[in-house]
Amino acid sequence: MRIEELRVGDELFYSGEFLIMRDAAQKRLKEMLEEGKKLPVSLDGAIIFYAGPAKPTKDSFGAIGPTTSNRMDLFLEMLFMKGVLATVGKGKRSKQAVSLCKEYGRVYFLAPSGAAAALAGRISDMTTLAFDDLGTEAIFKVQVKDFPLYVAIDSLGNDVFISE
Amino acid sequence: MDPKIVELLDLYDGPFSSVLRENAAMAKNSGLPICQDTGFLEFFVFQGNEVALEEPIIETLNSAVKNVYTDSPFRYSIVSDPLLNRKNTGDNTPVICHLFPIRGDELEIRFLVKGGGSENLSRLFMLNPSATVDELVHTVVESLRESAARGCPPLKVGIGIGGSSDKAMVLAKLALTRSFDEKHPDKDYAALEERILREVNDLEIGYQGLGTGITAYSVHIETYPTHIAIMPVGLATDCYIARKGRVIFED
Repeated sequence: MRIEELRVGDELFYSGEFLIMRDAAQKRLKEMLEEGKKLPVSLDGAIIFYAGPAKPTKDSFGAIGPTTSNRMDLFLEMLFMKGVLATVGKGKRSKQAVSLCKEYGRVYFLAPSGAAAALAGRISDMTTLAFDDLGTEAIFKVQVKDFPLYVAIDSLGNDVFISE
Repeated sequence: MDPKIVELLDLYDGPFSSVLRENAAMAKNSGLPICQDTGFLEFFVFQGNEVALEEPIIETLNSAVKNVYTDSPFRYSIVSDPLLNRKNTGDNTPVICHLFPIRGDELEIRFLVKGGGSENLSRLFMLNPSATVDELVHTVVESLRESAARGCPPLKVGIGIGGSSDKAMVLAKLALTRSFDEKHPDKDYAALEERILREVNDLEIGYQGLGTGITAYSVHIETYPTHIAIMPVGLATDCYIARKGRVIFED
């Protein structure tokens, strides 16, 4: 998958790794950078999935799905500066987020929202990387197989939602 | 899921349609939740004056929610403090509980299992008391034009009109406890519900916010008398799985 070849509206099935993090973890990462501390995880080359998993069952990984990306637009440049290639979430993003994708040549994918039971079946491994105390808001590493994605913002700055 | 949701999902053929249908079937068979955001619990308790309870109702509701969430593969989504210490409570409590005193020997409890995504679409508008119906419709529709794609549409829309600022918001939430086909008893308000639904669907935001299929299932209005100087309008939405319940205990 070459990030720069993807265009808005492309649908694909991704197999590989995501780093999962959401509001609280990104706020903490930002504070650590401001305090000049070393981050507990490397974001270089990562695809960030904005999510917070539910509890696993004995037969399955926990239900999982995207949360609203727009809330985390204020952390997007930090992620790109640390080498993040793409983000995965739900819903439309701000104009600033679209500009950042264009400036850094990155993409934003939608994952299906409210499809958590089906997505749990596409996870093959999950480990906690950092911030265990945040519960579902910790940073996780997850391996996925045939995970459905939809290109919502491409590296040229095209946006499927045409932001206001 | 409500049969109407399943029926409409079967008709949807836009992006992610097959995984959404797979999800509905899988959640039914596997015991996994249909959405990872298993929400916060918001209760609307209508307690008759002849109903005596052994403990405050909110304690009963907190225990029930704690039991269900700790025994199920659900997510704990509640933090104990909103600003200074957002620490997860680890059992999805406390719940939100609204009390409505009524006459008689019945206890009716309605509830919403409310996700955070759609909750962030909530708005309060303090309209001018001389505002027209057109202005109210415009206010609601324009708000949803901006926000609906973030709330996992198709949405269920609740609108509270009147009372005070806080009352209007509670009414908007209470409106979400109605079933899809439960119209306002007043025919003019029922017609207004229909009109707003039509205009919201004309936005063509669609499933997943991607432009295919309906934008809203239904619009529900609740009203209350208000002050001569104000017209509070509360707007609340629920996401495409619109999880709710209702139970009535009779003495």
